[in-house]
Amino acid sequence: MKKFVLIVASLVLVFSTFVTVVGQGYTKEPADAKIITLGVAGTAYASLHPGVRGGTFYASSISGPKKWNDVTAHETSTTMCTGMMLRGLTTLNPITLAIEPELAKSWDVSKDGLTITFHLRQGIKWSDGQPFTADDVIFTYNDLYLNKDVKTDTRDVLQLPDKSFPVVTKVDDYTVKVTTAVVFRPILASLAANILPKHALAQDVHKLNPKVPAGNFNTTWGLSTPPSELVGMGPYIVSSYTPDQNIVMVRNPYYYHYDSNGTQLPYFDKYVILIVASQDVSLLKFQNGELDALGIRATDVPILMPQAARKHYNVLVKPDVPNYGTTWVGINQDIGLKEGTHTDLRALFRNLAFRKAIAYSIDKQTIIKNLFNGLGVPQWSPVSYLSPFFAGRDSYGGPVTEKDAVIFPYDLKKAASLLDSIGIVDTNGDGWRDYKDGKTVEITLTTNSGNTLREGECLIISNDLRKIGLKVTFTPVAFNTLVNQLFSSTGEMILLGLTGGPEPNNGANVYRSSGGLHFWHYSGKTDPTEVEKQVDQLLKEGVSTLDNNKAFAIYKKYQLLLASQDLGLVYLVNGSFTYAYYDKVGNAGVSSPVSTPSANGGITDICYFK
Amino acid sequence: MISYAIRRTLYMLPLLLIISLFSFALLQLMPGNYVSRMKMNPQFDQKTIQAMEEYYGLDKPFMTQYWFWIRGIVLRGNFGISFATGLPVFYTLFMGDRLLWTLIISLTTMLFTWLSAIPIGIYSATHQYKLSDHTFTFFGFLGLSIPNFFFALVLLWILVAGFDVGKYGLGVGGLFDNRFIGTPWTLAKVGNLLWHIWPAWLVIGTSGMAGLMRYMRGNLLDTLALPYVRTARSKGLTEHVVVYKHAVRNAINPLVSMLGMSLPGLVSGSLVAAIILNLPTVERAFWTALLDQDQYVIMGGILFFTLFLLIGNLLADFLLAAVDPRIRYD
Repeated sequence: MKKFVLIVASLVLVFSTFVTVVGQGYTKEPADAKIITLGVAGTAYASLHPGVRGGTFYASSISGPKKWNDVTAHETSTTMCTGMMLRGLTTLNPITLAIEPELAKSWDVSKDGLTITFHLRQGIKWSDGQPFTADDVIFTYNDLYLNKDVKTDTRDVLQLPDKSFPVVTKVDDYTVKVTTAVVFRPILASLAANILPKHALAQDVHKLNPKVPAGNFNTTWGLSTPPSELVGMGPYIVSSYTPDQNIVMVRNPYYYHYDSNGTQLPYFDKYVILIVASQDVSLLKFQNGELDALGIRATDVPILMPQAARKHYNVLVKPDVPNYGTTWVGINQDIGLKEGTHTDLRALFRNLAFRKAIAYSIDKQTIIKNLFNGLGVPQWSPVSYLSPFFAGRDSYGGPVTEKDAVIFPYDLKKAASLLDSIGIVDTNGDGWRDYKDGKTVEITLTTNSGNTLREGECLIISNDLRKIGLKVTFTPVAFNTLVNQLFSSTGEMILLGLTGGPEPNNGANVYRSSGGLHFWHYSGKTDPTEVEKQVDQLLKEGVSTLDNNKAFAIYKKYQLLLASQDLGLVYLVNGSFTYAYYDKVGNAGVSSPVSTPSANGGITDICYFK
Repeated sequence: MISYAIRRTLYMLPLLLIISLFSFALLQLMPGNYVSRMKMNPQFDQKTIQAMEEYYGLDKPFMTQYWFWIRGIVLRGNFGISFATGLPVFYTLFMGDRLLWTLIISLTTMLFTWLSAIPIGIYSATHQYKLSDHTFTFFGFLGLSIPNFFFALVLLWILVAGFDVGKYGLGVGGLFDNRFIGTPWTLAKVGNLLWHIWPAWLVIGTSGMAGLMRYMRGNLLDTLALPYVRTARSKGLTEHVVVYKHAVRNAINPLVSMLGMSLPGLVSGSLVAAIILNLPTVERAFWTALLDQDQYVIMGGILFFTLFLLIGNLLADFLLAAVDPRIRYD
């Protein structure tokens, strides 16, 4: 019976058309509106143009949202929608990647660096016409993000190095104070976390309304919530969702961004996300004119290029703009430590010369040429190429010169001589290198099966290593098996990737000797190497200065140290950021309308139809 | 008859229970669980992941998890909650018109398959070993042997690259063009649905056509060789009457029981096509749950598909008995 009711309920849900109730909009531009200086010389947006309003923009996503609750969401299929509905105190400028004011119009940092006072924009409203005030900020931090009853990932992002959390207090209706126990430079970036409407959600939080059960907020704003109940501050608000088909978002009449001509943003009336389960079909839909822009793979570029002029679209390839994140071969220096096995292999993996030999054996150019259609850059640092802290730059946010880069050029001879130098030679003439006792060195290289790019990389790498006499076997395994191997320290050499962003401290959990993802040397937690001790220290210093130039110098040292002296992870290559868009989409040539190299939403609110 | 139906239905319960236990055990054998994927996110504290495992009960032993799940079903009719959406499993599986669309797509595809396979089977039998028989058989087997995903992709590619259908405002994949999704029903919308649904008929339908066609051909050939057909011919009846009035009626009987057997295929068996052709089906939701390791949604899906399979078998038995008087219920 229950099943029947559920079926009927779900049928009713779809047949009923939900129309979001939104307000009428501002009668005049609010005094505290955020002005996007499109076309204004000397600003980040100088090369863009003010546009005209109107039209429906079509984008695609591989899967649909799992809920409408931004606080408890884990997956990008959800946050791509909620991210468009909500805004935070601060934000990352999509062009310059610098932190800039968002819901806060400005802030002051106290001399000791422990207190930040945010001055909020006045006169701006939620999509239902209710005013935005400090109460929304206090509610979001104290009753949602920092409330243990709420399951949210954001709490981990807000946690300070001493395990405490920032204290958020209200000064007046438009002033909020954030105090930290220790100086923490990335706090301004962490405070970009989205602010939620108190008036719409307070009654669903157990802490504020004991009548609802504990944990109630975790299921608030689920997919069964009619979109008309959703309230936001962002450029668009969800108006309808048809599972497996599309998400329709409409312009928020109370969005507080205006262009330099005084036109309220966003320019598009509607933003529609088609849910297309296959990337190949998305590509066909783009070619067929059903999508206005699409993030594409390197392999799609030669398919799209020949038709570009005839069909009036552009394929934008930025070879020097790689995606965020890292791909690497992790060499597990704790292999067999717990079990008391693999003594020889462990000693070999712990030898820096061996890890350097591996680094010299990786043919990054061939990987880029064969697997990325030539669209990629070699990688050598734990910090993403686009980050202002990347050590290939001259200064904080300066040009990439790669002057001090620690690059291991592909050189099998050098790799072989390094192995010779540590006594790993072929003693019995069978073609494979042996340990000193004559036993053949056998290594398993693993990656997650089904990822053709990674499998291709593994084949190229294992092939080269076999050329220098290392008996390396490549065996792909299921992703979760691989994760288990990483966390239980049972994998030997593993090829995998990690997400990244502009902030180097986001990798602290990986590179700190006690980090939860320090999977190539977990024993570093109790018995750190000299290099690890230095890395820990640099990570600590990097967050405790508010001066970005000082932080840059610290992170530069940190990157050079990891790349030259640690090599627990040997980096591979990073694919270039590529996307395609139709000529009619204005402002799309500078940054992608649909996604950024960090896979976040693109600059949709400043694109327009010509 | 009624007592037979009741008895057969009651047999289903222990069967469902055993199948659910086996599926649950198989699920546990899969490496990792719902939270495994989050472990690789540098932003997550490992303690948060642990807390989440406890919250979802994933840290408990297999039998405990299974017992809690079964108890929930029996005592409260609660089949569990989806980890991903936080909503009941069947709501998550059937959300939108997934169930309705699945049935519409499958029923119309089945109709397409039968309406084309039966006449072709008859034609092939009456034109045995002629060029046309070989041609139909060739295309039938071609349809059977081309993998669905490949056929679907090629079909869409031909529409886009060959016919440039976008120029005429027509979309590919999905059930509707962008402008029709979520709008009230109109004649234009129905027309648009037809434009989008025929690739599904062709892709899913052709894979089942060859078998059915050959069945019909074989049965009819057997029947045509029987003495009563010779008698009919010698009475001077026209070939048309001999074939359609006398032979086909008997030859088609065994196929009727296949109708019941094809019931489970209505809700499953078109996954690949659903993904490439972007159709909103229950199976696609089930597949998403498998990828996410959304445990109870997977279990709900298995129960649902099993139920259809069992009902299909039951129906097949009834139909067979209905067309063949030699079969008795006891």
